[in-house]
Amino acid sequence: MNTFTLKVIACDRVFYEGPCEIMKFPGYDGQMAVMAHHENMTTSIEVGEIQFRTPDGVNHVAIVSDGLIQVKNNQVNVIVYSAERPDEIDAFRAQAAKERALEQMQQKQSIIEYHISRASLSRAMARLSGHDRYVSK
Amino acid sequence: MANAREISTRIKSIKDTMKITKAMYMMSSMKLRKAKQKLENTEPYFYGLQEQISDILLHFPDMQHLFFDNRGKDLLEDKKRRAFIVITGDKGMAGAYNHNVIKKAQELIDEADSYRLFVVGELGRHFFASQGYKLEDNFCYSANNPSIHRARMITENIVERYKNEEFDEVYVVFTGMVNSIKEEVIVQEILPLKTHQFIKNELLEQSQKGLGNSDKEVAMEADDWFLIYPSPRKVLEKLVYNYVTGFVYGALVESSASEENARMMAMQSATDNANEMLRELQVEYNRIRQAAITQEITEVIGGAKALRNKKKKQAR
Repeated sequence: MNTFTLKVIACDRVFYEGPCEIMKFPGYDGQMAVMAHHENMTTSIEVGEIQFRTPDGVNHVAIVSDGLIQVKNNQVNVIVYSAERPDEIDAFRAQAAKERALEQMQQKQSIIEYHISRASLSRAMARLSGHDRYVSK
Repeated sequence: MANAREISTRIKSIKDTMKITKAMYMMSSMKLRKAKQKLENTEPYFYGLQEQISDILLHFPDMQHLFFDNRGKDLLEDKKRRAFIVITGDKGMAGAYNHNVIKKAQELIDEADSYRLFVVGELGRHFFASQGYKLEDNFCYSANNPSIHRARMITENIVERYKNEEFDEVYVVFTGMVNSIKEEVIVQEILPLKTHQFIKNELLEQSQKGLGNSDKEVAMEADDWFLIYPSPRKVLEKLVYNYVTGFVYGALVESSASEENARMMAMQSATDNANEMLRELQVEYNRIRQAAITQEITEVIGGAKALRNKKKKQAR
């Protein structure tokens, strides 16, 4: 199968760099996938999980926060705030973050604070669901 | 001249202080190393974002957006409402670090027609509050141990207000490391973004890569079509958020590295000074002790002599 070069850049490290056969990600209005020789494109990526298959047939999963994807000459750059493997996620911390965000949304707050809480809530939920799906079985 | 006991107490107290400065030196050097590592780790992210912004702007140089400096209203208004994000330390004992950044920020604020002040770090907040400047409420962030989470909170706060047009320009005042010894206060305008700057950088980069040896080739490069989904505007908006967050994070990390560096040097010189003082005091202490011993010996000898003379007299 044809491959392309995938580079997943989080703000504190390069999560993955190497060949890849297919990569699925949560796009602006639903799931999207990129395969080799995709047309050049720039699009946004939402909070959720990306899946990619390396040439050795292994499926990798990463929980990501929002960012951007750039496809250029068979090279795909994913630039996100954070990217974590499901087993790296601290479920307790995510749970605590979720509860904190929910609690904050209960309170009266400005529209800015509301946006911030909602964003943290969606990140915490993505982490939790990724953790639940792949780690605790 | 002080007596021996006083000097020995003094020596002891200096030694105790020196222990503290030494410990602080070690802690700072450790934190500095950590901060430098963090800075290095975020580099690919930051450069990646920069490249993407340049890329999009190169293809849509005429796009007008609130986030870019070619807004129509910029030409009409000459009064700018400015917002300053000032990054200071949480505590002192770091040489001139806090002083420098605060002084620079104060200059800028006094120049501005109207200002909004966002201060990161306990020390700076305290200073500006005591000087009667108006600080933003609900903006209490520590400068210690920067995290991407904090950078994001700050960015969302700022960008949201910017979008509501509470201010026209956003500046970040922070301290950056020029090299491992020298540090400098840096003032950077983050919003609105300088479009032509990005385009220029991109063109420069391409010509350096040898992609465009002539202007014509550069233009052709720019012409190649690519898809932006859902729309350039949406993507750029997201990009700008990420870019600002990346920048704020970088500024936080660099400031904390500078702070630790400044503290390290301050503590180093404090330890050196303490050593120097100890040496002088030790010399003085020895001299006084010697003087006391000599005096005692003289007294004993004198006494013995007097006694002998007395005996001689009696014998005679």
